[in-house]
Amino acid sequence: MTPDTASRQRWMGVLARAGDRLADYEHQLKDTEYQLIRPAEIGMTMVRGRMGGTGAAFNLGEMTMTRCVVRFADGRTGYSYLAGRNKHQAELAALADAHLQGGDQLRWLEALIKPLEKIQQAQRAAQQAEAASTRVEFVTMVRGES
Amino acid sequence: MSSQFLLPAFDNPALASQLSFRAALMALAEPGLIQTLPALQPIAGLASATYALCLSLLDADTPVWLAPAFDSPVLRANLSFHCGCPVTDVREEAAFAVLDRQELDDLSGFDGGSERYPDQSCSLIVQLDALDGGQCWRWQGPGIETECLMSLPVPLGFWAQRERRTQFPRGLDIFFSAGERLIGLPRSTRCSVLAQEAS
Repeated sequence: MTPDTASRQRWMGVLARAGDRLADYEHQLKDTEYQLIRPAEIGMTMVRGRMGGTGAAFNLGEMTMTRCVVRFADGRTGYSYLAGRNKHQAELAALADAHLQGGDQLRWLEALIKPLEKIQQAQRAAQQAEAASTRVEFVTMVRGES
Repeated sequence: MSSQFLLPAFDNPALASQLSFRAALMALAEPGLIQTLPALQPIAGLASATYALCLSLLDADTPVWLAPAFDSPVLRANLSFHCGCPVTDVREEAAFAVLDRQELDDLSGFDGGSERYPDQSCSLIVQLDALDGGQCWRWQGPGIETECLMSLPVPLGFWAQRERRTQFPRGLDIFFSAGERLIGLPRSTRCSVLAQEAS
């Protein structure tokens, strides 16, 4: 995997989890000429899993997804795939993906991805802390057999 | 990357592809009646109706053969993006073929289906400049009450080729498209040249 792919995966993941917060950036994101190659559309996708991460693949279930593809005047295309049925968010995420592939990448990373990622990490940490507080430690007495 | 070639397709994909599919069904059910397809921005040499048929009929299970006149990176990129269909260079493998007038003299290789599965034949989408202006032929058969007179601008060799490739139930179903309009010519239609053409 090239570093480009890895960093794009990172920002696409952040955008997919961003939720309503993307709307705060709507004005900046839409401040360019663009075309909807694939207008946001809702569909289903089959989520597959592997038992223990290594076993044979099995179908876990279907989930709703929304996807969108936009193209800028200079030919750059931005893609988005996200969970749920929010078409507006899918369009904004696709716009952000296209912006992030351009010359302004660093500026967009600083202005958009970093803050969103920070919020998401904080939420995740809070959730984990809450779950951790209910953790129960089981202690087994060793029987003196050996 | 081929993504710089991508263009928008149907504005409302679900509705427009269903309308196109309905028009394609009607075209084959009533040979010779002109059907109108939803308007679409023409792309890379494909007229609106040809492209609309492609968008509604092609998917990952239908290898498509493109005539050399249409085979371009732009069309390949858009077909693989919007339809997800494989493009094949082998006529025998194709489930659909997009042809222009020049290709009509030679229809060899396209799969006419088998005796057991005649439905697995290749369907041809032929793009013409217009749907009339050629020699007048009489069409008869299922879907036509008595007869209908059609003057498609196709080369004479086409009719002989079609005759050769039709051994009912095997054969080729053909869509003729021009602009936003469409005419179907299923394998069951019997075509004969009109004798009193000069009158």
